[in-house]
Amino acid sequence: MNVKISLVANGLEWAGEVEPRLTLADLLRDHLALTGTHLGCEHGVCGACTVLLDGQAARSCLTLAVQADGRQVTTVEGLSDDLLPRELFQCGFCRSGFVCSAEALLRREPLPRAVELPELLAGNICRCTGYEPILEALSARLPG
Amino acid sequence: MPGYLADLAVPGALELAFVRSPFAHALIGKVSGPAVTATELGVGDLRLGGHGVAPWPWPALARREARFVGEAVAVVWAETRAQAEDLAESVEVEFEPLEPEAPLRLFERTIDAGAVEACFQRADHVLERTFSCARQTPLPLETRGVLAHFEAGRLTLWSSTQIPHILRRGIAQALELEESAIRVLVPEVGGGFGLKAHVFPEELVAAQLARRLGRPVRWIEDRRENLLASVHAHDNEVLMRAAFGADGRVLAVEADLRCDVGAYSVYPFSASLEPATAASAIFAAYDLQGLRVSARAVTSHRCPVGAYRGVGTNTAVYVTERMLDLIARHVGLDPLEVRRRNALRHLPCTTLGGRELDSGDYLELLRRVESVSGYEALRREQAKARRHGKLFGIGLALFNEHSGTGQSEYRSRGIEEVSGLDACRVRVTAEGRIVIHTSSVEIGQNHAPAYRRLTERMLGVEPGRVDIEEGDTDVCPPGTGAFVSRGAVGVLDAIAGALRLAGEQDLAPGTDVTCSIDPKQVFPSGAHLAVVEVDAVTFVPRLRRYLAVEDCGTLIDQRTVSEQIRGGVAMGAGKVLLEESAYGEDGQPLAATLLDYLVPVAADIPRIEIEHLVSPSPISAQGSKGVGEAGTIGAFGAVANAVADAVAPLGAELLELPYGPQRIFAAIQLATTSKQKKGRRPGG
Repeated sequence: MNVKISLVANGLEWAGEVEPRLTLADLLRDHLALTGTHLGCEHGVCGACTVLLDGQAARSCLTLAVQADGRQVTTVEGLSDDLLPRELFQCGFCRSGFVCSAEALLRREPLPRAVELPELLAGNICRCTGYEPILEALSARLPG
Repeated sequence: MPGYLADLAVPGALELAFVRSPFAHALIGKVSGPAVTATELGVGDLRLGGHGVAPWPWPALARREARFVGEAVAVVWAETRAQAEDLAESVEVEFEPLEPEAPLRLFERTIDAGAVEACFQRADHVLERTFSCARQTPLPLETRGVLAHFEAGRLTLWSSTQIPHILRRGIAQALELEESAIRVLVPEVGGGFGLKAHVFPEELVAAQLARRLGRPVRWIEDRRENLLASVHAHDNEVLMRAAFGADGRVLAVEADLRCDVGAYSVYPFSASLEPATAASAIFAAYDLQGLRVSARAVTSHRCPVGAYRGVGTNTAVYVTERMLDLIARHVGLDPLEVRRRNALRHLPCTTLGGRELDSGDYLELLRRVESVSGYEALRREQAKARRHGKLFGIGLALFNEHSGTGQSEYRSRGIEEVSGLDACRVRVTAEGRIVIHTSSVEIGQNHAPAYRRLTERMLGVEPGRVDIEEGDTDVCPPGTGAFVSRGAVGVLDAIAGALRLAGEQDLAPGTDVTCSIDPKQVFPSGAHLAVVEVDAVTFVPRLRRYLAVEDCGTLIDQRTVSEQIRGGVAMGAGKVLLEESAYGEDGQPLAATLLDYLVPVAADIPRIEIEHLVSPSPISAQGSKGVGEAGTIGAFGAVANAVADAVAPLGAELLELPYGPQRIFAAIQLATTSKQKKGRRPGG
């Protein structure tokens, strides 16, 4: 039996009926055409599908669409390209997850210590860059 | 192309799901449910021709028996992926488990060069060790995916692939279509690392079903399928003997490689890929008087083995560099000094393994590593750390690798399915824009700056006027694709050739010229240094520092080169420290999630220091050499040696990858037990 939900995605209201088993990731990608959120493992490890749920980082592959009922969802499409520009990446598949994780981190903790960034971003896998360009871009935003 | 394969919006596309074998070896009985099996699918095998390699093709769907866990046995489809998965679950297959089959030998390569016997007879010392390289898998963050549509007698196939033209050829052959009736399109690719350089059963199935059903058909791999049934890599056991003098000079080496290539031979490389590349790369950067190698590909009931960044060279460099450190220890010399004494001095030359090294300066690479790392100070730091009870290791690697393999080399290895050619077509539009099409494909290497820079240098065209369109077999010239680091070799030469032709026509609108190149292998080289600290309680190794001195000839775009090296090193470090596609005795895979198959995260990789040395290649037109794999290959030697060096004071000797805490602990236990035994021996 489908469930009625409504949520705000990147500032736009969405309401509809969904299967209870539908993941938030599939809702975003297949029903809202927000394909910037990528699926890398669908079991909550790689971080590619990370979005913001009421401002906090959430794995959209492990979150059910019904759990997002009445909440604010922000995906990479709703965030600035400047935080982690595309050219920092190679294949780019992990980027959306890094952007959301970094955004959530900076909202929670506006001034993290640069040395702590690698641990703070250890929930996202990148297979191409060796992480340095991503970490450097974030460090460059921090004072001192 | 807008987006990755899973992002393509195709109205009316059916979603596929596969029913896969839960057994390593089983007879397939009755299949009940709404599934299509091999008999009903009616797709031929991908023929792997050529001498020297026994055909052992990977069928689109398993026929009489399933030969590894995860092998596709039947296929179902539905309007959504979730429905397709429900259907797949409802299918019942009567499997009759079988005993494992005795391994079959599919390929063997031998090298017997120089005075091996004489060297072993007169050597002061002989060391013998058995090393093993774990079974691993490339793990691009984007899994495989294919979307097929058959319309008006023509098949359009979107695939997340590194090899559009080879894929077109393979599909044409298996489905008995003309190649001209197939268009392969490559959207954005979320990483390949070799995995996407194969033609896969699922691609054949999707293409055939699209033809059959008259509707677009899509399959997006999930991560479990990717870990179990895409391709694996390596899984080599190497017995190595080295004969050397008291001065640390290595005279001759013997190596016996057994490569477990899994259940089938992959298309297009065949089962020869790993053993053939590993054999000729053993001790390839060093001056030997004798080399004897036997490298075999043997089957097992595991996922087929294919390409993973560095392929057999990873294994060869790993065993070579580990052996050199053991030799250094045996004769009481510093590892850097042992490499200096053995490095090839006069290039160009042909190695005993048959590698025609075009250029390089290996002693200079070592000098740079020594000076940039502050090697002496680093050794003093190590001595101090050891006095404080820390397990602190320094590891080195000196290596070369082949890049840009051409037609003659593939033919000599018996591989007919890879053309080995690289091609470029240059068009000038009515508006005067220059459009570059190549036979390669963008998988994250960032081709555009290098192509634009070359166009600017050769023709004075500002970069903003140059468009790059790759990954469409209808408009791109036929060629090999994107693997074996051929971008800076054949592909760049072909671009230069086509640009020259276009220049001869003054870039007049309507100009349309193509240049095809049969590249000759060129050999980038490098010397890497890693510093590792192993936790004295948990035995978790941490990479603390990494220096890569690389020589890929003339730098076309330094930033791109550095990105390839840095990403390659991180991947190589993961392969040495973490990655393992382990199986149980019963042939069941033990790494089916990313919690079991570990790859490095940001906290695992330090800043990678990169130094460029430039020995232009006299062979490639731009003097450049491939750089896509060098980082990974170097890390196999340097990181492994650093971990081994860290635990060497405990008497532990590491031989089996990956060097994770379990293996380190086991090696330390073994060393402690054998010391105790020695201690108990009467009179000992």
